[in-house]
Amino acid sequence: MSTFKKCCAGLRGLASPLLLVAAWEAASRQDASHAYAFASLASIGAGLRELSGSGELWLSALASLQRTCLGLLYGASLGTLLGAGMALSPLAARLVGPLFHSLRQVPILGLIPLLALWFGSGEGTKVLIVALAAFYPMALNAVEGFSQVDPRYREVGRLFGLGPWQHCWHVLLPSALPSLFNGLLHALAFAWVSSVGCELFLSTGVGLGNMMMNAEAGARMDIIVIGVLCIGLLGYAMNLLFSRLSQRLLRWRPLRR
Amino acid sequence: MRRAFNGQPLLWLLSPAALLLAWALAANSGAFPVQLLVPPQAVYHSFTELLVSGELREHLVASLSRLGLGFGIGAVAGMAFGTAMALSRNVEAFCGPLFHCVRQIPSIALIPMFILFFGVDDVFKVLIVTKAAFFPVALAACEGVRAIPRAYFEVASLYRLPLRSLLTEVALPAAAPTLLTGLRIGLSRAWMVLVATELLAGDIGLGQLIEMSRQMLRIDLVMVGVLLIGLIGFCLEGGFHLLEKRLLRWKPL
Repeated sequence: MSTFKKCCAGLRGLASPLLLVAAWEAASRQDASHAYAFASLASIGAGLRELSGSGELWLSALASLQRTCLGLLYGASLGTLLGAGMALSPLAARLVGPLFHSLRQVPILGLIPLLALWFGSGEGTKVLIVALAAFYPMALNAVEGFSQVDPRYREVGRLFGLGPWQHCWHVLLPSALPSLFNGLLHALAFAWVSSVGCELFLSTGVGLGNMMMNAEAGARMDIIVIGVLCIGLLGYAMNLLFSRLSQRLLRWRPLRR
Repeated sequence: MRRAFNGQPLLWLLSPAALLLAWALAANSGAFPVQLLVPPQAVYHSFTELLVSGELREHLVASLSRLGLGFGIGAVAGMAFGTAMALSRNVEAFCGPLFHCVRQIPSIALIPMFILFFGVDDVFKVLIVTKAAFFPVALAACEGVRAIPRAYFEVASLYRLPLRSLLTEVALPAAAPTLLTGLRIGLSRAWMVLVATELLAGDIGLGQLIEMSRQMLRIDLVMVGVLLIGLIGFCLEGGFHLLEKRLLRWKPL
């Protein structure tokens, strides 16, 4: 009985997506003006075959992913360093904090025109934008993580006579790790969005955003739908991968719950 | 933490002032072309020019009214949907999976699709902002309502509270902290997405000011726009923080 009920509950969840797809398909069959805006499922399938056959989809997705990873690497490592510095030295927090918090307010995508004028619209600028997007959430979470180290752990470290590097490695880093992973998860989401976003604005180069902007110029709704689905799925997959990874890496931690 | 520096507000101003000074020195040193690195006084000059001509007001009004409309619709709809999802198992079973799927799609990625659907006019921008605000608010409302301890309702039913005061005096305050956080996140996302849509398409708005100035290589105007966008984002978030503090001042720390 209970498994039957569970089955039913799962099926109920499928109802609304199926309804949406059916409505979409019905709208695409209405007339020519509707078929222009609502690409039919068949044409989306054909578009998917076309894109994957020519390899454009893989190349675009790979380019976007690669840029996200590179930007994330730079942004997250710099963010961790700055966050740790701001958390461990009150002087640094007072000096750099105000600047950091005021610059943080500028939406990254609003900076694109300025950065494009200064550094061109090539791959370097895009990586810079992604790195900036990853930098702020990472730094914020690093501050939180490093400033919440239990004072008792610090005392134990002092008792053992640990040097500053040992202290960092054995005491501070492990206690900050949960926050760091949390920051990395946020940074990943921001990096992915801004990677796609900067492709929408800077039309040179390859990427899922470029693919979608070209499709928009050619009014190819099928390709846009494929692009949106790809971006959503890849973002979700990366998020899942990272949260699983962090759970695995943090399994030594006693949970408070 | 050490509090040695608390009494020195000047220290807070030090790093922004240092950046401004470095910018002014670098711009006036002649090492970079003036067209690319505009000195601060030129940016200020352009700002006052825009302000006096009234052009800036038009852009600001256009952007902020879009933000207000889109965020208002998105937040109200999000609160209603989130509450419904938290209270009714049926709503969650039917709409939950679709909600969580669509939530994964970044608003930015929907821009090309919405342009094809709705054109590049205000409808498209307001709808994107609505979408950006809806999901965080709905999620927060759902979690906030769900986290209200059952004991509160039991006490309320013991006192035979009427439904209205049950909602306004028990449920709303209990869900408020989560809800306000969701609203704040929704507002900052809405602002970011609005700027993005204005950069891509349109005739008026702060993002459009930046984009047009970029095409004319007027970096001073681009910087005015970027600074204003940052300032507005800062004020929105700061204002919301103050509001949160004021509304939640009953909360024990």
